[in-house]
Amino acid sequence: MVDAIVNGLSGLAAGSLHLHWTNPVMIAIGCGLLYLGIKKGFEPLLLVPIGFGCILVNIPLADVMGEGGFLRTIYDAGVITELFPLLIFIGIGAMTDFSPLLQNPATFLLGAAGQFGIFLTLGLALLLGFSQLDAVAVGIIGACDGPTAIYVSSQYAPHLLGAVSVAAYSYMSLVPVFQPPIMKFLTTQKEKNIIMTNKGIKPVSKTARILFPLVMTICGGLIAPMGLPLIGTIMLGNLMRESGVVSRLTKASENEIANVVTLFLGLSVGATMAGDAFLNPKTLLILALGFVAICLDTVCGVLFGKLMCLLSGGKVNPLIGAAGISAFPMAARVVQREGQKYNKKNYLLMHAMGANAGGQIGSVMAAAVMLSVLKGMGII
Amino acid sequence: MSVTVEAPMPGKILEIKVKAGDTVKEDDELAVLEAMKMENLIYAPAGGTVKEIKVEAGQNVVTGQVLLTIE
Amino acid sequence: MDNLTFGITVLVVGMGGTIITLWVMSLIMRLLTRIFPHKEGEDGN
Repeated sequence: MVDAIVNGLSGLAAGSLHLHWTNPVMIAIGCGLLYLGIKKGFEPLLLVPIGFGCILVNIPLADVMGEGGFLRTIYDAGVITELFPLLIFIGIGAMTDFSPLLQNPATFLLGAAGQFGIFLTLGLALLLGFSQLDAVAVGIIGACDGPTAIYVSSQYAPHLLGAVSVAAYSYMSLVPVFQPPIMKFLTTQKEKNIIMTNKGIKPVSKTARILFPLVMTICGGLIAPMGLPLIGTIMLGNLMRESGVVSRLTKASENEIANVVTLFLGLSVGATMAGDAFLNPKTLLILALGFVAICLDTVCGVLFGKLMCLLSGGKVNPLIGAAGISAFPMAARVVQREGQKYNKKNYLLMHAMGANAGGQIGSVMAAAVMLSVLKGMGII
Repeated sequence: MSVTVEAPMPGKILEIKVKAGDTVKEDDELAVLEAMKMENLIYAPAGGTVKEIKVEAGQNVVTGQVLLTIE
Repeated sequence: MDNLTFGITVLVVGMGGTIITLWVMSLIMRLLTRIFPHKEGEDGN
């Protein structure tokens, strides 16, 4: 009888007795992510489930990520299979209006330049001792796009998924903080004041807007087949939106599907943040390199903007280059605010939106190109 | 000398911050234009007196549409 | 493959591939917007 009672009580004490030092630290980190999401408004849709998943997985003996654990079930269903990021991408395509990009196709190139941080950071990660595939996962933080980063890292460096995702989502929220100084530093006073008008910008026909996702999918897929799941899903979403004939599916993709998947994805990513995997110097390095990647994206975007300014005879304001990253539409809003700060008569928003939409496309294509190049080289 | 204040991009007027007869300086806030889900302030291109307001809050405008005139 | 070869290849082919692909897309879309111009009064812009 006494034994039974003691055993019963030990069942209640076991959790606390099995605490490893990494558990409370990670629980604190999970709470930190919750604080960033709830109190500071940093990408709450992802950081709240990620933070909570992190707390759950670091409570000992609950084994939520063990064989048969509920987080393991969700993780296996959607992260290992790549399904979750791809389903979110359908929603993103359904929510995005690419007409500013189509009205000014030159902004495609700004969207490309805004991805150079991915490749430069990959090189930096290699120099710092990361393995080739780990460096790929670290570099993809520079895509500044959650689903893309999750898609790449869960396939090729799943042990880094937690760090990569936390970096990607946290830094996206910080875009309004670190972009303005870079923009200020890299442009001359004259360049900052270049006014870009919207006169002469013609609307895009419905036919062109419907053909765009088809062209992107077929051409992009032919050039970079390893990235077709990414390209295809975002373009499917966009095609549904532009066709206007499947509004039930479009609405479901933007709302119900995206919301459910976001919840499951966030929980799954948080569940990879077990203390022994996350708490090592490499994680800090990944967080630092992720920051560097997005800064380099901004630098390359603005520098390319300066090149376009030169080639256009001073018509392009280089500030819009900063919107060539995939943080949509935040980066475009940053450019509009900064442009108006330097010259109240300057309304860069439409041009910046074009560059930002270009960045969305650019990040998908950059990831697709990178994966296809790696496949060609036999690395994956 | 009349100066027209035009919409810099298509959107919806959320608020007009001045009325006819007001004196404004260059770079004063005149109106709020909602475009691409962002609120954008429209500033006076020159100083003067507001002569005529041609749009009202809630109205959709296109690029180049005259919002108000300043003399 | 050694890291230097890997790094430089991914950098050059990756960056180059991205910019060329997007440049090709921009050309195709420029052509398509010219072939299918916006008609006055068309719905859904």
